[in-house]
This record gives sequence, structure tokens and C-alpha cells, in this order.
Amino acid sequence: MAISVDPPDVSANLCRVANYTYTFLSDPKLETIRRYDLVHPGGHEGNDISRSAEFLVDSSGTVRWENFTEDIRVRPRADQMLAEAKKIQ
Amino acid sequence: MPETNPSHKPGNILLWIGLIVIVLAVLSNFLYYLNMPQAIIPWINLLLPLIGLYLLIIGVKRAFKQPQVYSGKIWGSIVTVVAVAFLSLSIYGAIHARDLPPSKGAPRVGQKAPDFTLTDTNGQKVSLSQLLSSPVGNSPRPKAVLLVFYRGYW
Repeated sequence: MAISVDPPDVSANLCRVANYTYTFLSDPKLETIRRYDLVHPGGHEGNDISRSAEFLVDSSGTVRWENFTEDIRVRPRADQMLAEAKKIQ
Repeated sequence: MPETNPSHKPGNILLWIGLIVIVLAVLSNFLYYLNMPQAIIPWINLLLPLIGLYLLIIGVKRAFKQPQVYSGKIWGSIVTVVAVAFLSLSIYGAIHARDLPPSKGAPRVGQKAPDFTLTDTNGQKVSLSQLLSSPVGNSPRPKAVLLVFYRGYW
């Protein structure tokens, strides 16, 4: 699932335009983003946002894989994340 | 020293190569859409303008120091100014793109992911614990959930 500060209607529009079918969640007050220590202060035109990060959480709630990019232009590719997910039995 | 002919100056090839490299530098931003190792792309974004600018400066120097041999005083200067602008943007972009918080308090591999409840695009409340325990397809519950935090403002 994808999480950002975008309100539900903005995320819904993104899903419609990009044809995304997975869950998009909104965290406009950055409560969860802050809890995960991912707040990027002033990251977008002075507004606080989430930094890019990915976590693979198994059924017990344990983080099994994570990724913190050092450059916002560099993101893990879908096949890389799928490969990590397949490692979980 | 190259032979001179008052009626015809040879082309200032370094200026043109520099210009092509600068154009390639701009186009290199589209490399992110290709299936290649992403980590090297920011360095390509930064190195290409530097190489292009170096070639342009050499070309302009030749045009001004040996005007009887090389052309390119006017166009070389204009293209170099544009190249400096591209290089400045590239450097600014590289610095901005890497200016990220350390996130030392983020959950690490082996730790429990903090539970949360947020609103989805249908206005429904969704929690991590709910997603981890809800049946998916024929499985009693999913083996894992992938959390993708992204910058937003799309």
C-alpha cells in the first residue's frame, strides 16, 4: 500500500490517471509518517512531507525488508520489491 | 599550428561536441524510465554537464585566442552560458535530491512495524493490523504487506 500526505481525493485521482489498483492511504497530519520517523521537513515547497521509504512487513508485523533511498530520484523497482516479497514463506 | 585560410575557418569541433554532450546531459534525466541500474544515473546527470561545459570552455578559449583559426566567438559564448545554466540546475537538483532526513528512528529489519489507521481513497479507515490479518484470495491472511511511503503532491 502507498502512504503520503495527499488527501484521499488527490490519491484517488492519481489512481485513476495512473491506473493503480493497490491501496492508497492518506496521512495529511503526518501522524504515521512521524511515527515511522520519515518526516521530510519542508520537503515540498516548504510543506512537510514523507521521505521516500519502503518496508516489507510479514504477517507477524515484523519488518523483513526496508529501503531508504539516498536520492529522491532513485527508487526500488517493482521487480526488486516483488523479489523481496517472494522470499517470505 | 593548423594552416590558416583567410577565406575559410575550420569548424570549432569542441564547441559542437560540448553542445551535444550538454543535450545528452538533459536527455539523461529520462534514464530513470529505462531498466538500468538507477544508482549511477544521478552521477551521469552530474558528469555529463561537467564534461560538456569543459569542452565548451576549451572551444570558446580557442575561438577568442585564435580567432584567425577557429570560429565560434558568438555562438560558443551563447552555448556556454546556456551550459552553465544547465550545470547550475543539475548541481542544485543533485543537492536537493540528496537532502533527506536520516530517519534514524524508523523501524529496522527484525523490528515490529508500528500499527496505524489511515483513510483510503474511498474514505474508509484501514489499519496495518487489519491488512495483515484479512483474508486475501484463498489464503487465510497475506504473507506480507508492502508499505510504500512516497512524497505525495502529485
